[in-house]
Amino acid sequence: MSARAAIVEARGLAKVYPMPAGPVEALREVSLTVEPGDYVAISGPSGCGKSTLLHLLGCVDTPTSGSLLFEGRPVLALREEERSRIRLRRIGFVFQRFYLLPMLTAWENVELVQSEAGLPAAERRARTRELLTYVGLADRAGHRPSQLSGGEMQRVAIARALANRPGLVLADEPTGELDEETGEQIADLFDRVNADGTALVVVTHNLALAGRARRRLAMRSGRLAEPAAVAAT
Amino acid sequence: MSPLQFAWRSLSRQPARAWLGLTGMAVVGALLFDMLLLSRGLLVSFRDLLESTGFDIRVTATEALPGMGPALSDAASTAERLRGLPELADVVPVRFGSVALDDGDADGGGLRGAKRRGLAIVASEPRRRAEWKVVQGSDLAERGPGGRPEIVVNRAFAREEKVEPGSLVRLGSAPPAREFRVAGIVEFPFEAAGERMAGVTLAGFLDAFPAARRDEADLLLVASRPAVGAEAAVAAIRRARPDLHTFSIEDVLERLRQAEFSYFRQVSVVLATIASFFALLLVTTLLTVSVNQRLGEVAALRALGFSRRRITADLVAESALLVGGGGIVAVPLGLALARALDSILRRMPDLPQRLHFFVFEPRALALHAGFLVLAALLAAAYPVLLAARLPIAATLRKESVS
Ligand SMILES: Nc1ncnc2c1ncn2[C@@H]1O[C@H](COP(=O)(O)OP(=O)(O)OP(=O)(O)O)[C@@H](O)[C@H]1O
Ligand SMILES: [Mg+2]
Repeated sequence: MSARAAIVEARGLAKVYPMPAGPVEALREVSLTVEPGDYVAISGPSGCGKSTLLHLLGCVDTPTSGSLLFEGRPVLALREEERSRIRLRRIGFVFQRFYLLPMLTAWENVELVQSEAGLPAAERRARTRELLTYVGLADRAGHRPSQLSGGEMQRVAIARALANRPGLVLADEPTGELDEETGEQIADLFDRVNADGTALVVVTHNLALAGRARRRLAMRSGRLAEPAAVAAT
Repeated sequence: MSPLQFAWRSLSRQPARAWLGLTGMAVVGALLFDMLLLSRGLLVSFRDLLESTGFDIRVTATEALPGMGPALSDAASTAERLRGLPELADVVPVRFGSVALDDGDADGGGLRGAKRRGLAIVASEPRRRAEWKVVQGSDLAERGPGGRPEIVVNRAFAREEKVEPGSLVRLGSAPPAREFRVAGIVEFPFEAAGERMAGVTLAGFLDAFPAARRDEADLLLVASRPAVGAEAAVAAIRRARPDLHTFSIEDVLERLRQAEFSYFRQVSVVLATIASFFALLLVTTLLTVSVNQRLGEVAALRALGFSRRRITADLVAESALLVGGGGIVAVPLGLALARALDSILRRMPDLPQRLHFFVFEPRALALHAGFLVLAALLAAAYPVLLAARLPIAATLRKESVS
C-alpha cells in the first residue's frame, strides 16, 4: 500500500441495468485501486463491462452497490454538481470518437475546459500553448477538428484531458478509430503523460497499447482479473 | 468562452439553421410587434386626436355620442354657469349640422344641382378657443366686413369648390340661402379623408339653419385648469349639473375600449398568440434538432465536467441569439408592415384622417422586448431539459456503438 491516498478506491462495485427481459449485470464485485502515477490497461471481450467500469471510476455514473472513493471522498454521497466539479478538475477523459467541438479550433478546445474551471486568461494561454507543444501540435493551434487527422484530433483531445492538471486520465478505446501507426503515436504520448505523473486507466483492445501499461487487467462478464502484473521497466 | 460566444459559434457552425431561425423569428416577431401596435393603436391615436383639440372634457345632454342624441337647451346660460366654476379654464358650446350646398351659380343651378354634395358644419365660439387649426387666411370673426357672416372651410371643400379666403359661399338648409364670406382654410381634428367640413359662429349657424332652435348646443367643450386636472373638473361639473353627462377623455376612451375598439384588441391578442406559438415552435424545433444531433458532444462535455448549468446557459444563449437577433430585425420590419397595414385599414370610409390603427409607443417596444425574453426562455426549455437530463454514460456508450 502506498503512503499516499489512492486516487480511486473501488470496493465490490456492481452495476445492474434492470431490463424488461431481466436485469443485466454489467459489473459484479469489482474492486480496483488506482494509485497516483498508476498506468492500468483493461481489456476484454465486447460487452464485458469495460466502459461501465470506466464511467464509474470517472464519476460519470454511479454503481448499483459497492463503495467508491475518489481521492478519499465517497462518490456516492456526493451531489451531481460535486461529481461534475471532480470530473472537471481531477479527471481527464479521452474518447474513442474524440468529441472535440467542431466549431472550435484546437486551441479553443483545449482552453474551453480551463475557462470552465475558472482559470485566469493569462494562465489559460500559457497552459494551452504548453499543452499543444507537448502533444506536438503547436503549429495547428488555429485549426478546426475538420482540418486535422484522426491522430491529431486525438492528440488535441489528450491535451484537453490534461488541461486542468487532473490526477487521473481515463481513456475508452483511444486508438479505436486510428490506424496502427497512429495508435503507436498515441501510445507514446500516453507513456509520456504517465511518466510525467498522471495516473492512466485505458480500456483497449489494442494489444500494443495495453502492453505499455504497468498493470494489465482482463475483464470477463463483469468481473476483473489480473492475469499478469507487468512490472515497470 | 462565455455562453454567448459559445452559442454564437454553435450557430455559425450550421448557418442554414441560424438563418432559418433568424428569418422565422424576424417575420413572426414583426407580426407580434404589429399586434402590439394594433392592440392599443386606436386608443392612443384617438387620445391624441381628442387632446389635440385643446379640450379635455365634453358635456352632453344624454349618454349618446355628441350630435347623435338630443341637444342641450339653455346652452348660453349653462356655459356661463360652468365658466363660473374655478376648476374650468374655458367652456365652448358647439353645434353640428349638415347642409346641401347651394353653389350660387344661377345659370347652371339645375345641372350642378344634381352634383350637390353635403357639407358638415361645426358651429362654435371661435374667439374663445377654436376646435380647428387655421392653415390659411384667418379665423372667424363674429361678423365679417359688411355684416356678412363668416365661414372657415377645410381643404377638401376649398379644393372642390375652388374657394379661398375672401370668396363667398352660399349656405342654407332651406331657401333662401345666406351668403358667407370665407375667412380662412382650416383643419378639423376629426375630418375624414375627402370629407367636406366648415366652421361657423353660433350666430352663423342660425343663418345657415334658420329653423334650428335657438340657444341649443350638441356639446360643450370644456378645458380644465391644468393645475386642477380633468378628473377634479369633471367632478365639479357633475356637482353643478348632475343632470348633464360629463366625461373626460379617459371616460371616452374607456367606453371605446369596452366597445368598438375591443375588437382590435381581441384580434391582436388572437393573432399574437398564434404568432408566438409558431415562433416558439420554430426555435424549439431548431434547438431540439441541433441538441439531438450533438448528444454525444453534450455527453462528452458533461463527462469533462461541464455543469448542467453551463450546458443550460449555452442553450439559453443560443435561443436568445436566435430570438433576440430575429426580434431586433422584427422591429423595423414590423414598423414597415404596420405602415402598410395601417394605410389599408385607413381606406375605410368616414374615418378621421388623423386616426391610426397601428401606433408606435415606447411601451410597445418594452413589451416586445419582454415577449422576446420570455420566448427565448420558453423555446430553450425543452432542449435544455433534454440536454440537462441526458444520461452521460448511456449516451457515450450509445454514441460509440452507433
Ligand atoms: N445503459 C444500459 N442499459 C442496459 N444495458 C447496458 C447499459 N449500458 C451497458 N449495458 C450492458 O452492460 C454490459 C456492459 O456494457 P459495456 O458498455 O460496459 O461493455 P464494454 O466492455 O465497454 O463493451 P465494448 O467493448 O463493446 O465497448 C453490456 O451487456 C451492455 O449491454
Ligand atoms: Mg465500451
